[in-house]
Parts: sequence; structure tokens; C-alpha cells
Amino acid sequence: MDSAFGQLTVLGSSLVLLCGLTLLWRRGSAAHIGAFAAQSVALAATAGLIAVVTGSRELWVVAVILLGLKGILMPILLKRMDRRFGSPRELEPYVNTATSLVIGGLLVVLAYIVTWPILDVSRLPTRAGMPLAMGLIFVSLFVIISRKKALTQVIGFLALENGIALLAMLGTYGIPFIVEVGVFLDALMGFLVMQIVIYRIQETFESIDVEQLNRLSQ
Amino acid sequence: MPLPTGYTVAIAQTALALFLAPGLVGLIRWLKARLQNRRGAPVWQPYLELRKLFAKEVVVSSNASWLFRVAPFVVFASTVAVAFLVPVLAVPSPFDPVGDLLVVVYLLLLGTFFLALAGLDPGSAFGGMGSSREMTVAALSEPTVALAIFALALGAGSTNLGQIVARTMADPAAAVSPGYLLAFGALFVVTLAENGRLPVDNPATHLELTMIHEAMILEYSGRYLALIEWAAWLKVLLFFSLLGNLFVPWGVATVLTPSALGWALATLLAKLVVLAVVLAVFETRVAKLRLFRVPELLAVSFVLAVLAITVSFLVR
Amino acid sequence: MIFLLMVAGYLFGALAALLFARGWVARWLTAAGAIIGGACAVTLAVAEVFGFDIGSFQIIVVLARRPWWLQGGVIQDPAQPLSAVFLGVVGAIAIPAALYSIGYTRAWEGRRSLRMPGAMLNLFLLSMSLVPLAENILWFVLFWEGMAVTSYLLVMTEAEEPETVHAGNWYLGMTQFGLGFILAAFFLLLPPDGSGDFTALAKHAATLSPGLKSLVFVLALIGFGSKAGLVPLHVWLPSAHPAAPSHVSALMSGVMIKLGVYGVLLFGLRLLGGGPAWWGGLVLTLGAVSALLGVLYALMEHDLKRLLAYHSIENIGIIFIGVGAGMMFLSYDLPALAVLGFVGGLYHTINHACFKGLLFLGAGSVLHATHTRNMEEMGGLIKRMPRTALFFLVGAAAISALPPLNGFVSEWVVFQALLGGASIPQREVAVLMPIAVAMLALASGLAAACFVKAFGITFLGIARSHEAEQAREAPVSMQVAMAALALACVVLGAAAYAMVPALGRVVAGLAGLPPASAVTVSWSLRVPLSAPGAVGQISPLPILLGLALLLVAIPIGLWLSRASRALRVSDTWGCGRIAQTPRMQYTAAAFAEPLRRIFAALYRPTEDVSIDFHPESRYFVQSIAYRAHIIPWFERYLYDPVIDRVIAWAARVRAIQSGSLHAYLTYLVAALVIMLGLLMLWGS
Repeated sequence: MDSAFGQLTVLGSSLVLLCGLTLLWRRGSAAHIGAFAAQSVALAATAGLIAVVTGSRELWVVAVILLGLKGILMPILLKRMDRRFGSPRELEPYVNTATSLVIGGLLVVLAYIVTWPILDVSRLPTRAGMPLAMGLIFVSLFVIISRKKALTQVIGFLALENGIALLAMLGTYGIPFIVEVGVFLDALMGFLVMQIVIYRIQETFESIDVEQLNRLSQ
Repeated sequence: MPLPTGYTVAIAQTALALFLAPGLVGLIRWLKARLQNRRGAPVWQPYLELRKLFAKEVVVSSNASWLFRVAPFVVFASTVAVAFLVPVLAVPSPFDPVGDLLVVVYLLLLGTFFLALAGLDPGSAFGGMGSSREMTVAALSEPTVALAIFALALGAGSTNLGQIVARTMADPAAAVSPGYLLAFGALFVVTLAENGRLPVDNPATHLELTMIHEAMILEYSGRYLALIEWAAWLKVLLFFSLLGNLFVPWGVATVLTPSALGWALATLLAKLVVLAVVLAVFETRVAKLRLFRVPELLAVSFVLAVLAITVSFLVR
Repeated sequence: MIFLLMVAGYLFGALAALLFARGWVARWLTAAGAIIGGACAVTLAVAEVFGFDIGSFQIIVVLARRPWWLQGGVIQDPAQPLSAVFLGVVGAIAIPAALYSIGYTRAWEGRRSLRMPGAMLNLFLLSMSLVPLAENILWFVLFWEGMAVTSYLLVMTEAEEPETVHAGNWYLGMTQFGLGFILAAFFLLLPPDGSGDFTALAKHAATLSPGLKSLVFVLALIGFGSKAGLVPLHVWLPSAHPAAPSHVSALMSGVMIKLGVYGVLLFGLRLLGGGPAWWGGLVLTLGAVSALLGVLYALMEHDLKRLLAYHSIENIGIIFIGVGAGMMFLSYDLPALAVLGFVGGLYHTINHACFKGLLFLGAGSVLHATHTRNMEEMGGLIKRMPRTALFFLVGAAAISALPPLNGFVSEWVVFQALLGGASIPQREVAVLMPIAVAMLALASGLAAACFVKAFGITFLGIARSHEAEQAREAPVSMQVAMAALALACVVLGAAAYAMVPALGRVVAGLAGLPPASAVTVSWSLRVPLSAPGAVGQISPLPILLGLALLLVAIPIGLWLSRASRALRVSDTWGCGRIAQTPRMQYTAAAFAEPLRRIFAALYRPTEDVSIDFHPESRYFVQSIAYRAHIIPWFERYLYDPVIDRVIAWAARVRAIQSGSLHAYLTYLVAALVIMLGLLMLWGS
């Protein structure tokens, strides 16, 4: 675990998690999209590193897809969505920023506690980064439930997907290729559906403040 | 090592720190000017400022008390005391058993405490405002500093500065471990907060909406102001030394031979220049935060420190 | 012999107060009695802790001829060193407080008789001194209640104020509440043969089931925690301490609440002999929460004594962090770290008594001079009361944990203990330690901010009211008392290299702890830590000397370098404004405002601004009134509902008192019949 490989994967995982925490810190959509893009690039780099060391070709393909799809394509689509639907006004999240950050930190600690039993069992040199991936999953879930803007929730969902992919990579050097591609396609589908839904929300309420959905029950 | 030499080196290193501090701040200012497409004052401008201030008359408010006159000396004394403790050139210093990292942090708090009181003494609104904000920022950066110290101490087994440096030198792989890097990030943000650099405070401004440190010392003039400014610059140098020598300790002399010390001096200057460049670029890049956004920044540094701890718990 | 002298001293003081009631004779004799008692207490404690043999704890010769119910009661031989520490704390603060009262009570001449306050003061000190020495349930509870009643009567000294009565009621209620839990804990530990001796209790406790032991511990923690002021049982502290006269506040805050700590240590270590890790975890958590909440509420106070009372809650939190960490390490079989935790807690107990006593005496001097406790009406007192200001500054620096004073050293020891948390094998539990470190650091940072506010607004700047302008320096006796405590703060910090090993010896032997292995290396304090070969080391005395040396060297350096020595006095920079009034400086509320906004989720502040416009034009303002409130969470959401329910229930029970004679006679007969029936049942 103290090897250079182990350290570097932990470094990569830390960067991925830090980009996820940036979603809690910064407020503008542009910052969120940038954080997501950076996160995907870091994830792709980590995948590439593992691919280099383990010599797995599938991981190479995964890394390239990550870079292309989530590092370049989706941010472009997100920026376009933001330009069409984004409100110039920033919406206050349910929980204020400083508290969100402290909760994020505590969630990472919780992730450590949850994954410690797995760490004792696993033998891979990359196992030290698994709690960070788990932490990213928790933080992304927190982003989804505590932010009001639909666009931010979408980004949170995509970050969650990143976290799951990272966890799989670190824990088992990646899941079977078919499954990985299937997951990618699912994410893409989900993304497109969400695009349509946000368009509909914008049409109905003239804003993408998710709280407005409450009005549907009236 | 023979005792006199050790003490001589320690005193020499403190004198060196005192001597370099204005130059360091001058360098940062010059770099920022160049980055902003200005010519900028020469790097040795702060020395000229000090010389000017020491020659000037002191004007003291009629409302001020003895505390106002004593505070600059307390601030300067506490910062110089820290300079004796921080590993600038050589380790282990004979003053190592006197204080560890916690003592360093709280001695700096001593200086801040007296400076904040001195801000309230003349009974001006500026001073009160500066004191209030300064103590808020100082209080909120305490947990980050404590956790970063904790993270460093987890690796070294104690908060002793000499032991932390020795441990990193013995185990180079630890220096790139995520725990150390996260702690470095956290301490970098704290450096910005404690020294009143952007985005927490603007050292070049004198508008009441944007001042923290400058507001506290607004009433000071002459030699008192010189002492306070010099102490503030020394604090920047000491923080840079901590960041450099705790996290990247190679170059620090472990034996007191002239060649080792010369090499230590060279690497120290290199580290200071690198950090000055980083700070200058960073300060040019960001804008000052509103006061009520500063806790968010400090919360980010706190989370970095928490991550540093949790990662270090594991790597042990 | 010294013990008898101590008791005699206190009784003499009480008697003098009762007999003489007025005049300087009464004041001096009352104080003299208390001082003699205090000095004896300190002598006994120092002898016991530092290991001198003056063989004076034995009073068996006197007691041997007493009836059975007085035997085996007080003081065994050898006395527990732990008791000696607390006895020493009582005595050490009694001396300055008594000295202070000489000057302070002069203001009562003609208005108030000294009879009750003076007698109660001495009896209060007597009962507080005897509580740690009691070795049997009966004596312990007797002295504990004595302490409670005498302190209640002292709090009610100024009973003409309605808030004093309110404070007294709360205080009495919480004391009895705590006593109930303490009694329950004691009774659960009673061995079958009914002997109330602590050694018998400890032996019996070893035979109890773990569940029962845990129950006893929790009951004791609640009972003693309410005396100590642990959150959420702290609500009586901020009203009771300010209501009492200042020397009494100093004693209550500096000494009495420490007896709560003694109680927890008594049960946790001595009687129950350590327990599962969650005991320590519970104490640690409550301590950390108290530390943070105490200082957060202190920040929002503008009543000087209430601010100090909240800080007592914070420091009790710090003490319990040390104790809790010690208990946790004990349960994980890490004896060296456990000793460190307990030593940190005990050291902070002593230090807090010193600087909190000093601060309360200072606040009392300010109150004495300006007749108000409201900081917003003070200012500029450093020029009118220079010595009081200096001593208060020392106290403020000590409580803000600034090196090289004593507050810093004990917090350093607690930090080093928490650092050892990495050695705890169970990682879910070990995570508590960094969280506690962060909370402790935040609390100490906020405490520094709070005391900049307290000292700055009270003493610095321009006077904000007429009383503050006319304030006069405190009488000599009060100054001497404060000076003594300020000196103690400095000395206790510098002498850390002697205090820590001594306190380590105190803790040794309790619950199987080894003697402390702290090594002193000429004036420095060195504590071995968990990793092999790792030591933590600081040297407070060289720091003190170094700072002093630098403070002298810098002006000399300036003089040698021929820097300008010109100085001119002028007006404060007013941005071109002509007049500078006191209203233009920062107020206490303004100083704390950034923190109020940052922690708004906790405080839920509400602001109330009412503006009186000039009758001629709305562009000019005649006056603005600004009121800010914060929600007192515990009072509103915990205590008020409970109290309301109790009152509702009591109203229903009151129906028994119908006022009819027949009903009462019926009750009597029914009770008689039931008792006879029960007797018959048991008899058969």
C-alpha cells in the first residue's frame, strides 16, 4: 500500500473527491460544470494509471470513454443546458455552504468507518482509495438532496456515477467491460431524459428551481 | 554538536529571518505588480519603508493607554520567539525542547490577541472593526491548524518540530502521501488567513469595507508601525518556512558544517522564492472575498484537514 | 493538627461574623478566619501531593472516643491524594477571596449586615473543604448538602433583586435534582452489610454486574455533572454565578463546580475502578459539546459576570475532555496515555480555579467601581483602574490559552493526550479524538476572541457612561487578592515541570494506573507519548524568560540603533470628523456580530430596530434603539416543557389539599390502616 502506485491512486482518488467537494463549495453553474469536468479527467487519469500498471486493455478503453464522454462531451451539453435554462440568479441551497462543507467532511469520515472492514479484507494496492470513492458517493448524494437547482442535481447524479466507477476500479480493477459500457449507456440515457425533464420544468415554471415542483400538488 | 555552535546557529538563523522578511514581502509585491502589468516598486522597497518609519515621530491617540505602546513590542517579541522555534536552517535546534508546533501556533495567537486589543484602545471605529474581524478569522482557522498539526504529528509520533522534519527526511515517500498533501493545502489556506493575504484580506487596501489587519493598525505610526509591519512580514516568512521545511525538508541542515549550512541557505531561498511566486500568482488570480464568505473558505480548509487526518489514520 | 486548625479557622470566621455583624472588625475577623482555614488547606494539600510528611491527616485520637455514627467518617490514613488536590484548590482560592471580601464588603456598610454572608462564607468554605475528605456516604452527603445550602444563602445575599430570587430558585432546584441522582448512585453501590465506607463501596462495586455499574456511573455523571455545569445541565450557572457577590462567584466558579469533577473521578476511578470505553466516550462528548456551547453563548453576552459564567462551562468542558480521554485510554489498556488525560484534566482544574477566580474578582472590582455589570456602559477603565486592568489582562490571557501562562500548559497536556487517540485499536472510536481536537481548538480560539471583546470593551477606549468616567481604583485588599492570583497563574505555568509529575503521582494507584513516567529535564516538561521514542516537550519557563528578555532587548535595540524617540499625543483618526464621542467606538454587540452571523443557525438571532425620526424630516434620526436576542435553546426546548409539565402535574396533585378537615382525618386513618396491614403482612 505504501508503494508509489498505491500512493498515486490515492492521490488521484483524493483529487476526484476534492472536485466533488467543490460542488458543495462553489455556487455558480459554471463552477459546478468545471468541477465535474475536472473530476472526470482525474478519474480518467486514475483509470489510465491502473490500466498501465495492470496491463488491462479494457481499463484503457474505459479511461478513454470517461475522458471523451464525461470529460468533454457532457460538460459541453451541460453548458448548453445552462445557457438555455440557467437563471442568472443564484439559488440558496437548503443548507448553507460552510455547514455543507462540514457535513461533507463528516460524510467522508463516515465513509471511512463504513469501508474499514473491506480494507482489512482486500489485498490490492489500490485499496487505500476506496474510502475516498465511498466518500464521493455520500457527498454526491448529499449534493442531490441539498441543492435546489435542477442542473446541480443532475451534476450530482453524474458525480455519483463517477464515484461508483471509481469504487469499482479501486476495489476490483474495474468491472466486466460489458457491464461498464452498459452503465455508461444508462448514464447517457438518464442524462438525456433529465435534459427533457428540465426543459419541461423550465417551460412550466419559467425557472429550474426544484422547489417550484411543490406547486404541482396544488 | 558542541553547544555554543548550536546556539550561534539558532541566533544567526533568527537574525537571517528578520533580515530576509522585508525582502520576501518586497518580492511578492514586485511579482504581483509585474503580473498586473505595472513596473512595481523595487524588491528592497520594504527596507526603505522600515528605515523611514523608524526615523519618524510617533503620534499616539489621547484615548490610548499603556497597552497601545506596549503592544507593538509584544507582537514583535512573540514573532521573534517563534522565529527561534521554527526550523529555518538547521534541525534539531537547541531550542527544540522549548516549544513545539502547538507553542508556535499559540505564540502567534498571543501576538494577534495584543494587536486586536491595541485596535480597540484608541476608541476608533476602524480599530474595533479590524479587531472584531481579525479575531473572527483567527478563531475560525484554529480547528484547521489543530487538525493539520494532528495530521503531521500522526506521522511523526509527536508535535515536536524536529521530529516531524526528521520523520519526513527519513521517509521520502511520506512527503507525497495524500495526507501530507492535503495537510499542505489546509495550511496554505491558513497561511492566507493568518497573514491577511487575498482572498481573506487585502494587504494593500485602506478602505474600511475591505480591511482587516490594516484596520487594526490604522492608528499606529513611526517606530511602532515599523515594528508591527516587520513582525507581520516575519510572520509571512515563518509560515513559508514551515510550509517549506515541514513538507519538503530536503536541504535543511542536520549537521552544523559550513557546507551544510550554505546548502540549507540556498534551498531556503529557493523555497521562499517558489512560494512567493505561487502566492503572487494566486493573489493576482483571485478577488477578495466578502467577510461572510471567508468562513466558507476556512470550512474548505477544515475539510481538507479532516481528509488529511482520515487518510493518515489509514496509511500508518 | 493542621486539619483541626483549618476547621477551627473557618468556625472562628463564622462565629466572628455572627457576633460582630458590622464594622471593620467583623470584616477583618471573618476574612482572617477564612484565610487561616484556607492556608491550612493549602498546606495539607501541598504536603500530600508533593510528598512531604507532616502526618496531620490523622485525627483518630480525637474521633476514637466518639459514638459509632461519627467513626470511620472523615479522613482515612493515608488520605487519598486526589482529595488533597481538591482540598488544595479550595484553600488556594479561599485566601484571595477572603482577602478580597474585606474591601468588597465595605460597600455594604450601613446597608447590609455582614452576619449572614460572612458566616455562610466560612461555612461554605468549611463544607467545600470537607467534601473531598469525606470517606463515607453519610459525611459526603452531609457536607455536600451543607455546601449547597450555604451557597444558596450566599447567592441570595442581594435578595431584593428579582433576578437574584429567580437565580436562587433555579440553583436550589438543580442542586436538589443533582443530589437525588447522587444519592441513587450511592445507594445502588451499598453493600449488603450497610456500611457506607468508600472502601467497602469499592469492594462491593467489584462484584456488581456491568449493567448495574454502568447505571451507577450514568446516575453519578448526571448528578455531579449538574453541579459541574455540563451541558445540558448547565442552565443554573449563568444566572446563579452573577447573582452572588463577587468573591462568592469566584469561589463558586473556581472551586465549587470542580467538586463535580471530583465526584465523577470518585465514582469513575475510585469506586467503580474504570469501565467500558463508552463511559469515557460519553464524558468526552459531553465535555466537547459543553466547551463549544459554553464559549458560543459567552460570545453573545454583554453582562460581564454572565460571560465569565459561560466560560466556566467551557472550561469544565475542557476538563471533562481530559477526564473522558483518560477514561477511554484506561479502558483500552493504554495506561501512559490515560495518566496524561487525567493529569491534563486535573491540571486544568487547578489552573481554571486560579484564572477564573482572578477574572471574577476583577469583574467584581469593576462592578464595585461602576455599579453595573453591563459591558456596554463601561470603557476606558484601564486609565481609571490600571492595576485591576493589568490583573484582568493576565487572567484574560490565561483563559485564552496564551503561552507561557497556565491555561496554555494544561490545554497542551490535554492536546497531547488526545493526540494519543491514534493508538486506540477500535477505529470507529478513535475517530472521536480528532473531532474532539477540532472542537477544543475552536473553543479555545473563540475564547480568545471573547476575551478580546471582554477586556477591550470594558477597559479600553473611551468611557461610555458617567459611572465609567468616575470609576475609582479598587481598595488595596482587593488589589492584593487579584495580584496573588495573577502571580499564581504565571507561576503555575512556569512550574509545569513540577506540577505534571506531581499530579501524575496523584492519579497513580487509582483504578490500577501506574505512576506517571513524565520526565523532567531541567525546567522543561516532557511527556512520553504512545509511539516508541516519541516525546512531547515544551518548556514554559524558558518561554516566559525568553519573551521577557525580548521585550527588554527590543527597546534597547531601538535605542542603540538611534531610532527616533519622538512622541506626540493627538486625537484619534476620525476620517476628517471633528468630534469623537464614545458612541463612535465599537460596542460589545458590534464586536460579536460577525460571529453571531456565522453561527446564526445556532443562535437564531432576532433583531429589533426602532428608529425615532426627527419631527422635521425623515432624513434625520433622533435616536435608534437596537435590541438583539438569541434563542436560549436549552431553556426553551428542554427545561420549559419539563417544568410546565411538572407544574401541571403538581396542580393536579394539589387537589389532595382540599382544605376540608374531614379529608385530612380520612388520610390519617387510611395511612394508619395501611401501615398496620403491611406490618401484619410482614410479620407473618
